[in-house]
Amino acid sequence: MVQRKNTSNNLKLFNRNTFPLFTFFLAFTTCLILMGFDYRHQVSKKIRSEFSIITSSINYLINKPIEILHGIEIKFKEINSLTEENKILKKKIYNLSIQIQENELLNSENEQLRKILEIQKNYKIIGENAEIILPNVRNGYSLITINKGIKNNIKNGAPVINNKGLIGQIINTSNNYSEVKPITSKTFAVPAILNNGKENVILYGNGNGELEIPLFPASSPIDINNIFVTSGIDDIYPKGINIGRVTEIKLTKSPKFNYILIKPFFQPTTFSQITVLKINKNE
Amino acid sequence: MNKKSITERRRENYLFYILIFISLIISNIGIIFFEDSRIMPNYFIGLILAFLITNTTDLNLYKLMAFGLLIDLFVGQLLGQHSLIFIILYLLYFLINKILIIKTEIQLSSLSIFLILISFIIIWLTSQSHDIFRSPNLLLLQGILTFFTYLIFKTVINIFK
Repeated sequence: MVQRKNTSNNLKLFNRNTFPLFTFFLAFTTCLILMGFDYRHQVSKKIRSEFSIITSSINYLINKPIEILHGIEIKFKEINSLTEENKILKKKIYNLSIQIQENELLNSENEQLRKILEIQKNYKIIGENAEIILPNVRNGYSLITINKGIKNNIKNGAPVINNKGLIGQIINTSNNYSEVKPITSKTFAVPAILNNGKENVILYGNGNGELEIPLFPASSPIDINNIFVTSGIDDIYPKGINIGRVTEIKLTKSPKFNYILIKPFFQPTTFSQITVLKINKNE
Repeated sequence: MNKKSITERRRENYLFYILIFISLIISNIGIIFFEDSRIMPNYFIGLILAFLITNTTDLNLYKLMAFGLLIDLFVGQLLGQHSLIFIILYLLYFLINKILIIKTEIQLSSLSIFLILISFIIIWLTSQSHDIFRSPNLLLLQGILTFFTYLIFKTVINIFK
């Protein structure tokens, strides 16, 4: 009879080894206590932030090949394509400079009107530009990592936006990197208003790449494609930043309320630009 | 009973550490062609399972607990979650070996699927009780991918051990 070599290791019927039951229960209890303690006090995040050298080296390692690839791509770009790109960028600058002139006029008008109406609350948005880098996922959880951290004066809780609209909020910072919780995260809530200035609501992330309003008054007028912007009442997110567009209005069990689904404008693709806001509140 | 030489043990330990390091790196990168990054496999469960089933390195409760904590510190959501999964996997594997003969490849694969499912149930339960959102449908897909990861790790271990 030919005996297979690889099967011999697995023949363990009536294995007489004893299991370290006491150690198991000790380890089991320790795990449960650690989980509860970490959930309440966020110990792992603090440790991760303190020992950022280790996580930074992992981030460096996973980003380096892509950086090299980008470098090579730029080196081998032809002059013609660069000239073409330059032309397009010049056109964009020209259009934007016209828009800035228009905005300056609108700002001064706005300031005068605020003085007349005695509106004191005013926001001046100052931002730090950053780039989305890897990791974009952490062991199965979606993540937005940016290449600026404590060194660039980025603080926990700061709102993050891009040219499309609101992205999220900084939840973890280390020396060179920061993590952003996206607005679509299950534990995210943001006060919002329709862009016509009506209907103050709170939008919640649903964990599936969208936002929702579970109970929206059925008597309030709302349509598909209506746009929600930040209302600014929470003193975290400045007023008027685009959030998303209404994609679905559903009936709920109660006839007094509707369920609203909102698709956010932002698409946090890796290596795209974002801005971390620092808000000066002049109250 | 085959006794392993010191060099063999050392080589297996190196392999274990190298694979842990590789898993740490790849768990931070989404898989190309998979639009939803949440269904990426849990490389660590696949790896520990591959080492348990191939009986390659001397894993014990202390080691598993320590590696679980290390993983939770680097890429986990909750400190102790992976440790809990690993020690339960160790207990179940021990108990199954007490009462069953696991001999053929099909039996080994069935056992690994069973253990992967158990570990994903633990992940889901702990996530629910600690408010870390995990959709059960996505977890099932993640479980299937973790099984393939386990197969890859097992092949790598069999090649290098």
